[in-house]
Amino acid sequence: MNNHSILRKQTWLIIALVATFCASCKIEQVAPVPESKKDLTGTWKVIQASRNGTNLVPLFDFTQFSITFNGTAGTYTLNNPVPFIVPANGKYTLDDPQYPYSITFTATGGQPVPTAFNYPIINGARQIIMTFSPGCAQNSYVFTLSKTN
Amino acid sequence: MNKRLHIKGKNLWRLCALVVLGIVLSCCYTIITEVDQPATAVVGSTVNITVHVNNSCNSSGTAHVVLGFLTPTGWNTAQNAKITYSCTKGNGNMVLIPSTTIAVNSGGVNWPTYMKNFFGNAGNLINDVQWTAYESDVPITYNNGDKINGTFNITFNNIGADGNPTEVKLAYVVANDQNGFTFDGNDGDSSPTSEYYNEMIMPCFQLTGGTGDLVDFCNPQLTTIDPPKSLDNDIVTLTYNNNVVTPALLPNASAVYLCATATLSDGTTVTVCDQSAQTMLTQTAAASGIYQLTFWPRKLFGVTASQTVVSMTYFITDKTGTTKVGYGGTTSPFTYKFKCT
Repeated sequence: MNNHSILRKQTWLIIALVATFCASCKIEQVAPVPESKKDLTGTWKVIQASRNGTNLVPLFDFTQFSITFNGTAGTYTLNNPVPFIVPANGKYTLDDPQYPYSITFTATGGQPVPTAFNYPIINGARQIIMTFSPGCAQNSYVFTLSKTN
Repeated sequence: MNKRLHIKGKNLWRLCALVVLGIVLSCCYTIITEVDQPATAVVGSTVNITVHVNNSCNSSGTAHVVLGFLTPTGWNTAQNAKITYSCTKGNGNMVLIPSTTIAVNSGGVNWPTYMKNFFGNAGNLINDVQWTAYESDVPITYNNGDKINGTFNITFNNIGADGNPTEVKLAYVVANDQNGFTFDGNDGDSSPTSEYYNEMIMPCFQLTGGTGDLVDFCNPQLTTIDPPKSLDNDIVTLTYNNNVVTPALLPNASAVYLCATATLSDGTTVTVCDQSAQTMLTQTAAASGIYQLTFWPRKLFGVTASQTVVSMTYFITDKTGTTKVGYGGTTSPFTYKFKCT
């Protein structure tokens, strides 16, 4: 084997390596997964409630109260009402269906009432946390709701 | 080698200790010597109060002087109380500390919250008082050995802005914005106190007149309502204390009952006096003598959407409903107005 032949083999080897190198890398197109729209549909019950920081759950019966959201119709229904953001059934909207920070309730025949809205996942399940004042403005209530079904 | 490092480390620690000591000692001890305030006043009048303070400084530095003033929430103190200071270092105005300012050594809360956490309600029995925090408009420069005497002059306009006759323990705290509520632990040295702050709680102040119900923060009440200010659409907790009067007005039982008459916005009245589950105040602990009922007034009195509950009068009764306890243990009912001020 002469030097010329060795040189040719090395040239082919280098071309093959370069070709393999170039072919091995390509830009991966990662399509971002869109954030899902928050669907509140279902019946929610109070699992925590406080008034000006005082735990109300041992003091007041919240077991009969629930709120049912219908995401398709954009309506809500209060069952066995307690002091809440609104006193009657009506419609609701989220400020942003994907990243909601505020929910607005409009009781039938009433004015829209927006309120701060938290929608965390606790122990694998969604919860709704709302802060509001149904009576005097200086009395602040925080309800944590959990879906029953 | 190790020995050298050890010696260098020791020197470093000594230096640090000196620096820390220097920081800790860069302050003035504070004591409120006297507060001149009237024993009584009339709702809506102007009240003048003077707080006398002595400071004893053990180093040089600058600091804003902080004054905390505890009053009923409904008095709108921040708006109605104007305060000036006068001392051997100069005169000036005390200005409100913004609620966004984090107090030093407070663990990350603002001054009113720091005061509430540290001093509580100063012996007031109803949790409807608040601390209002002021600071000197300019920092005060002090030198080692300074003895600074000064006064805060409070002009309280329209006192009792909520219109309620009131009995309350007003309280005052003086501190500085460099130390907060800390002390040096050297009680008994030449300084009058080891604290860089001082609190003074005054005897019960009486505010008379006004159109509202008497709010007595000073004396234990047979009944209290929480929140103290609420509407019929709040969830309210009524507490009855069977220990206030000796012998007890009601027999020791596991429960007592609410017998109430509501006056509605349309002028009609609704009476609920049935000694049932909805009116039952349960004892918070066996033989505690403290009974509580938490209820929604709108539901208890069964009002319609167009009605509101304006006020209620009530008695506390035993199981049979025959023994009734009224205001001050008399046969007159307790009264409560549903309002926010």
